[in-house]
Amino acid sequence: MSIASSSSRTVPFSLGRLGIVAGNTFLEAVRQKLFNFLLLLAVALVASAQLFREFNFGSSELKFISDFGFGAMVFFGSTLTIAATAQLFFSEIENRTALTILAKPIWRTEFIFGKFLGVFAVVGVFCALTTVLLLALLYHRETALMTANPEAFENGRIIHYGDLVLMGVLQWLKFGVLAAITLLIASFSNTNLYTVVMGFFVLVICHLQYLARDAYGAVASLPLRLLVQALGYVFPNFQVFNLADQIGIGQGIGAEVFLRVAGYALIYIAVIGGLAVYSFRNREI
Amino acid sequence: MKSNLAAFRPLWTGVLVVAALAVVGVAVRPVEAPAWRFVRSRQPALKLDSLQGALGQGVTVGLLGGFRAIVADFFWIKTNSVWEDNDLPATQTFIKLVTAIDPRPLYFWQNGARMIAYDMPNWRIIAEGGYNAVPAARQRKIDEEQSAVALKYLNDAFGYHPNSALLYVEIANVYLNRLKDTASAAEAYRLASLQPGAPFYAARIHAELLRKLGRTMDAYVWLKQLYPTLPKTVDPAKGVSEFTVESAMAPVVLSRIRELEGELNIPDSEAFKP
Repeated sequence: MSIASSSSRTVPFSLGRLGIVAGNTFLEAVRQKLFNFLLLLAVALVASAQLFREFNFGSSELKFISDFGFGAMVFFGSTLTIAATAQLFFSEIENRTALTILAKPIWRTEFIFGKFLGVFAVVGVFCALTTVLLLALLYHRETALMTANPEAFENGRIIHYGDLVLMGVLQWLKFGVLAAITLLIASFSNTNLYTVVMGFFVLVICHLQYLARDAYGAVASLPLRLLVQALGYVFPNFQVFNLADQIGIGQGIGAEVFLRVAGYALIYIAVIGGLAVYSFRNREI
Repeated sequence: MKSNLAAFRPLWTGVLVVAALAVVGVAVRPVEAPAWRFVRSRQPALKLDSLQGALGQGVTVGLLGGFRAIVADFFWIKTNSVWEDNDLPATQTFIKLVTAIDPRPLYFWQNGARMIAYDMPNWRIIAEGGYNAVPAARQRKIDEEQSAVALKYLNDAFGYHPNSALLYVEIANVYLNRLKDTASAAEAYRLASLQPGAPFYAARIHAELLRKLGRTMDAYVWLKQLYPTLPKTVDPAKGVSEFTVESAMAPVVLSRIRELEGELNIPDSEAFKP
């Protein structure tokens, strides 16, 4: 009988302990150079969107800034989520602090979800900062354009700023799903590197699975079609979070769509988190 | 026996995890499907077959990272770079790649079509020995071949911009300037003028081309129908700005109506009364 399983039978599940693990994870993460470095890069990239507008040929300037800003958020946010989750999890294993923590009366569920909430909070700070910066940048530029070219804004502002915030929230939730997936991989993986590499592979699969569904959904070979359909069910569809296209062209995001996508993410976070706990319970530390 | 089962525990855990994810995937599909339909309706899908050649060049990371517009912009710079070198295969490939990555901006379709229809025939003629060496029939054939490619490309664009007046204008220009097909150009300008937000000049050019084709009465009838629809005074309440009034050129249309009445010998009693 393991120490953790015996302790979990003697003490009830505690949100307080979960909060302590989450708080420590958050503090540990923000002290890391990785977080500060990626945050700085993302902020610099979002802020420099105005300079890069000279490279814009196709879309309107505001659309370009919006695309560029969300691109920076998605790119660096994904990197931060995978790297921070893996690093924070394996630092506990490699430094043997996990043994000390789990020797105390703490559930592995509290440990895993505490880790998740800590990373989720870090990514939340990242998303909030980049969203606020992008919001300020777009507002500033739109105001300047309205002054220079009032005819183009006869019907008022083009950007739906409320939707911009909703997009930031959806990206945060997507990173939550990604963090849960990374924790699931870490729960059975032996090395940090393997977890990071697998995390990026899964990220790519989740983004591209819809293409596989489209491309192979109609193939004649039944086994191949069933395999692709099964893959479509196993991996979450990250493209469903890609609503940023509506921003910058005067189109909004419906409340129903937002709630559906948010619900989709929360279901996956809960289930994948639960699976990570299950896998971690079977792990010898 | 017990130790044998323990050895398979990681495998069973993996199988259980995958099975659980598949079950969840099936269960959440009703939540995902309507949102996914919304996203797909607003966001043109990536054309995987067109991107296969570029996927190995780091494009995937950019596309997945949400940098679709920026990746397309950088490929557009690349398109212009190979265009400057008069490299026909590369230019044509990059033109198609750019619109495969991001088909939303009309700019890419318009300028890509112009490169195909107007520049590439010159490159081909020069490659075959120049304008003095290549017979006129061969030059005409090259023009027709390149125009066909450009027209097909522009027709593909309607899949993403179904009501775009400017695409019809582009088609009309290819017919008019490269193929010297006035009748087809007139029809394309007519279609352009019927689209929402169409530029006012499309309707005027349609009338001029009808005149050129000898269909003076058709041009007269068209302009008579057009004139009442044109804005003549600035009205901010209706969104009619000074620029709109100037672009509509109602006085010019009226003067053309009068010219046509002269040509058609229409009596004063039957003349158009604005």
